[in-house]
Amino acid sequence: MKQTMEAVSVWLSSTALSEYIIDHRWIFPGCEIFHFVGMAMLVGFALTLDLRMLGVAKNMSIVPLHRMLAFGLVGFGITAVTGLGFVVAAPSQYLPNGVFWFKMLFLALAGLNIGVFYTSGIYQAVETLGPGEDAPAGAKLVGFFSLFLWAGVLFWGRMLAFLGIAF
Amino acid sequence: MAGGLHEAPDMELLQSINNTAFSQWVRESDSLLAYPAFITLHTAGLAVLVGINAIANALVLSASPGRTIAPVARFFPLMWAGFAVNAVTGVVLVAADATTMVVNPVMWVKLGFVVAAIVLLRRIERGVFSSALASSDAPVDGTGRMLALASFACWFGAIAAGRLTAYLGPVAGLLEG
Repeated sequence: MKQTMEAVSVWLSSTALSEYIIDHRWIFPGCEIFHFVGMAMLVGFALTLDLRMLGVAKNMSIVPLHRMLAFGLVGFGITAVTGLGFVVAAPSQYLPNGVFWFKMLFLALAGLNIGVFYTSGIYQAVETLGPGEDAPAGAKLVGFFSLFLWAGVLFWGRMLAFLGIAF
Repeated sequence: MAGGLHEAPDMELLQSINNTAFSQWVRESDSLLAYPAFITLHTAGLAVLVGINAIANALVLSASPGRTIAPVARFFPLMWAGFAVNAVTGVVLVAADATTMVVNPVMWVKLGFVVAAIVLLRRIERGVFSSALASSDAPVDGTGRMLALASFACWFGAIAAGRLTAYLGPVAGLLEG
């Protein structure tokens, strides 16, 4: 597995895009700046919606918070593009490192959790919640998992520089 | 503090901060509770403070009569908690690397943006949200919108300058070499 990832890394670093990013030294720090900007947008959306479902700011109906979905999605798009930039520019720092795959696992689970939220009827149950109304237990569970999983994504992202986990 | 923007920094003082047992531990220990924990908490605090602040700003900018934003005020204590975490971890991160961080102008630019963003947050809390709490129909005026836009700009500046402390200034990879 590790050997495969190292081979993929060697190939990726030889691509024109990888060389372009490395040759233009402002692109990588630029990606870092926007990765954090996108992260704040995405986490801000998830955090406020999750906490409302868990009972914080209960006097607020869900509608105005959920209307910020586009804001959160733009944030996710920014982190995805800039994150790909990191991997293409320096694949050997990410692909052969288990920490990177833990981050991807938590990201996938967060996505699965969002899928459950929208397809299981939970979203339909909370979208009409007015001021002061309690979210159902399923929504609270989804909100709790969301907070845990996004915290995990952030944690593993930070650990990339400090922990190396071999396959 | 000596070493402000205009005076020459007191390198001896900065060196002695660097040499404290705590700074050395944060900087050099292999423990995940040292530098990795402080930088991770600093990132988590950023996500909470700036993330919720961004949503509050977006709500202010999209507010219209009949769409109450007042209950967002309940999120303010969480933002202040995020700020507290980042103030403490920020001081620790600077103390761990005082001889480079304090003399790095980019760090002072970041601090300027953070101070401005925090002043704006306080004004948004006291102005926009307290009047919205007082009356759910209170419209957000032009001042409220300006505060929200300025807040977005300041947080962007703080994040950008914060990242660039690793590239520009005394530690510097981007301009040299």
